[in-house]
Amino acid sequence: MEYYHSPDSIKDALSMAREFDGNFIYFAGGTDVQIYRKQKLEKNEHIIDLKSIHDLNSISIKDEVLSLGAMTPLDDIIKSKEILKFFPVLVEAAKSVATPVIRKTATIGGNLLVRNRCTFYNQSQEWRNGVGSCLRDVGDICQVTGGKNDCFSRNVSDTAAALIALNAEITLINSNGMTQKPIKDIYLPCGIKFHDLDNEIILTQIRVPFSPKKWWYKKLRMRKTLDFTSLTIAATIDNQDIARICLNGVSMTPILIEEPIETLTLESLIKQARKNCKTVDNDLMPLKYRREMINVYLEEFWNSIYI
Amino acid sequence: MTGAIGKPTPYIDAVQKVTGQAMYADDYKFPNMVYVSCLRSTESHAKIKSLELKKAEASPGVVAIVTGKDIPVPFGVLSISRDETAMAIEKVRYQGEIVAAVAAETIEAAEAGVKLINVEYEPLTEFFTPQDSLKTCTPDEQIHAHTKDHKNIHKTAELRFNEPEKELETAKHKQTGNFKFAGVTHGFTEPHSAVAMWNGDETLTIISATQVPHYLQKNLSKVLGLPLHKIQVKKPVLGGGFGGKSDPFPHEMIVSFLSKKIKRPVKCTFSREEVFITHHGRHPTEINMSLSCDDGGKITALDADIIIDGGAYGSFGVVTSYYNGVLLQGPYLIDKFGFRTRRTYTNKHQCGAMRGHGAVNPRYAVETLLDMMAHDMEMDPCDLREKNFLSDHSSTVGEFRITSNGIRDCIAAVRKKSDWDNRYGNLPYGHGLGVACGFFISGSALPILWNRYPQTVVHAKLDFDGRIVMFSGASDIGQGSDTMLVQIAAEELGIPMDFVQVEVSDTKTTPVDLGSYSSRVTFMVGNAAKSAASNIRREMAKAISKEKDTPAENITFKNGRIFTNDKSLDISWEEGVEMAMAGRGAFVESGFYISPKLGGNFKGAGAGLSPSYSFGAFISEVEVNPKTGETNVIKVWGAHDCGKALNPLAVEGQIEGSIHMGLGQTMSEEMRYKNGQQLNANFFDYRIPSSLDTPDMDVTIIESNDPEGPYGAKEAGEGPIHPVLPSIGNAVFDAVGVRMMELPITPDKVLKKIKENA
Repeated sequence: MEYYHSPDSIKDALSMAREFDGNFIYFAGGTDVQIYRKQKLEKNEHIIDLKSIHDLNSISIKDEVLSLGAMTPLDDIIKSKEILKFFPVLVEAAKSVATPVIRKTATIGGNLLVRNRCTFYNQSQEWRNGVGSCLRDVGDICQVTGGKNDCFSRNVSDTAAALIALNAEITLINSNGMTQKPIKDIYLPCGIKFHDLDNEIILTQIRVPFSPKKWWYKKLRMRKTLDFTSLTIAATIDNQDIARICLNGVSMTPILIEEPIETLTLESLIKQARKNCKTVDNDLMPLKYRREMINVYLEEFWNSIYI
Repeated sequence: MTGAIGKPTPYIDAVQKVTGQAMYADDYKFPNMVYVSCLRSTESHAKIKSLELKKAEASPGVVAIVTGKDIPVPFGVLSISRDETAMAIEKVRYQGEIVAAVAAETIEAAEAGVKLINVEYEPLTEFFTPQDSLKTCTPDEQIHAHTKDHKNIHKTAELRFNEPEKELETAKHKQTGNFKFAGVTHGFTEPHSAVAMWNGDETLTIISATQVPHYLQKNLSKVLGLPLHKIQVKKPVLGGGFGGKSDPFPHEMIVSFLSKKIKRPVKCTFSREEVFITHHGRHPTEINMSLSCDDGGKITALDADIIIDGGAYGSFGVVTSYYNGVLLQGPYLIDKFGFRTRRTYTNKHQCGAMRGHGAVNPRYAVETLLDMMAHDMEMDPCDLREKNFLSDHSSTVGEFRITSNGIRDCIAAVRKKSDWDNRYGNLPYGHGLGVACGFFISGSALPILWNRYPQTVVHAKLDFDGRIVMFSGASDIGQGSDTMLVQIAAEELGIPMDFVQVEVSDTKTTPVDLGSYSSRVTFMVGNAAKSAASNIRREMAKAISKEKDTPAENITFKNGRIFTNDKSLDISWEEGVEMAMAGRGAFVESGFYISPKLGGNFKGAGAGLSPSYSFGAFISEVEVNPKTGETNVIKVWGAHDCGKALNPLAVEGQIEGSIHMGLGQTMSEEMRYKNGQQLNANFFDYRIPSSLDTPDMDVTIIESNDPEGPYGAKEAGEGPIHPVLPSIGNAVFDAVGVRMMELPITPDKVLKKIKENA
């Protein structure tokens, strides 16, 4: 196929990316992006499928440090006994994504960079024409808030919540070379440009530096499978008693609250969470209820710490 | 029964379907075929000021474009509300209504053509709620010109018997509730699809995913001005209907008109979003209902005021309006009974018939009020129901004739299996049981379009090869009617099922059947098939009797042999066939079903009349998380009286399917709109329960052996859905003490009620 490319090295992938000059998308599984293509929300012509690149789907654990190839299918993470032993919160998060069939194709890297969602954006072109489009599409107004500046579409990556709570880092490669940074730093508080990675960059590895002594994970959704999150909370406590609580699905970006457990209180936790989440009515689950569940979930997490 | 009847039998088309060999409408491809894409309205209620086609007509690959004015004859499944045209003429009434259709060499070219059409709209006042539609408006604002008193009310159906309102005024034990139900849609797997061909002999053939080939034939004749004998409707293998394919549809008119116009095969297959837009699902409903009892728990009166939101067109709405009321006459004996249903037009997708047609929402109301009554009177909810059941061979206040009735066996079965007597009311907080009952028609006794013919005819053909072919217009939509035809012929003729084949759902070759709706097929087609096959047996016995000099009445057909008890005659089926055909050749025998004259003489007496009624009782068990309001349905016990399970595997499947579908409407499914635009027109956001959300099911088949059903059979496809919903709602009450008066029972609603209750 003229527009479908399957390079077998990162070098080739990057040179294709340069050649197509922005008129491409990477496939890291493609399960979500295909829908964007169908709905004409993604119109770039070339697909650079990363699945044939060697060494991007390996799992290795040394000294309780996890190295994970970005193209590792979520299903492989769920089936890994080693990951389950040291990083059960990641397994829980991976298990809560989509459905078993989709998880055989969908990858961890793809899920980390899954596009933000909004009830008024993730629709067919005919639908969007009917409503008059929105800021993130070709319109000039947010269909949710009526505002003209900000898009509040939600980051819905379940695995991002878990990996941020695990203080994970990612490796990124582009033509300028390799960089490493904490996952939490790549996301931007904007529904349209929700991460700061340039177009050509490829996420290659994920590194989880520690195995937490406690963890907690919960995802709010209408059905027990398939649905994107309406609220995901992943939390860990490390050996230094630092609590990392990450909320996702309720704001444009994952919200991390990181604090020694000694100084943290439930009240302050809820206060910080509610203050930082820019939650608007852009999910089919009612807004008031989603906000309420932030409190309920955090309380449940809090109670679990002392069990 | 010694043959195929009563044995769990996999569907005859099962292997074809699971191996991908079965041909659905969209699988048909013909030389020179063109593809249709539709331009759909972006407005909910607006005049079409201008429609500019020139650019689209010049677009590469575009063959023809049609608009509303080209096909102006209105149609509709009910002759009393033919209010729809193939495409909008002069104005649009809902967002997504078809404004123009482009036929092109490829689907891509058709879609590209659609984008080049320019439409200018002039907005009109939009009506999105039934309350808006009940108000007086200006003539210009009326959605349809034909509605009375400048209101957008499509139909008011009202029946009253013995002044229930007077009884309710003074009743000592009375429950009243205001209920609200979101609209839900069928969610069948296969999208609408049709391909039409204009044949060399100036006739039309259409292959369409329809439940009602006969009504499609009639409506096509009217719309195209073609005589009936020039129209052939073929129903291919169908991927589900649930009532959503039981109307004639605009796209069927469009492809037929186009094929006649351009003399080429024309196909139109909808996207999933278009299927949602086409809808015809369950009406959003608001019900105010009151019910009273005497000191002993006997129901004394029931009265209901019901508003249903019909959307932009009529569809089955007049029937739905009546069914909302009349189908509350069972399974309990109620002498003082009344209802009023008003169906409004609104600027939304049209509603119509869906599994359990018209009666599902009011059933929830009745069963909830009964549960409230039992609670207030400190009576067991099962006991209260048992005090009130209609008896078999009785009559309801609206003169429905009740024949067989297994409701007592149904409730006894689920009561025992769920250990109700020990567990109800005794489970820990957050954990509950609920019960509900229901009943439903086994086919409407009256045809939709009045005529003097039988409701179905079946032909059975015997030829030299020993094969029986059953010719029937019945539409197998996944419910297994083709398999039933085979089972019945095999049973009647004492031959293995593989001697029997079917030719079905083709208005050119198969005799008329009215369609797969109102749970009529097993009862009516089953009787006709039995009669046709037994007529073949009679003819064979006559010939064998003559040749072997044995009285015909002594001849038995069984296990592929034809014999007398004393074995003076003992021949194979093939030998019997040879004797029967000697000097005569292949022959065809016919059977038919015509409903007995039933019902009263008052206006509206025909609504809900059926030759027989099914009954059922269900118990559900739920767990409710009081902190989040999340409700988990963990088990459903369902007992359904289907008279006689001709194919227990199919009946079990229907009951399980009903539980799943009922669960969806109860827990998560909902047509969500904002300003007339559906927010969730896809299977991702329209939340049909997944396998993980589906509870354990314990299904009991009760066989009351109906005197008029084939081998005693009644319906099983729709009746089992009614008790599912209220049994869940009542279980939520048992679990956390709150009454869920609105469906779906989403976690936010449960939590809100729990907090209010605290």
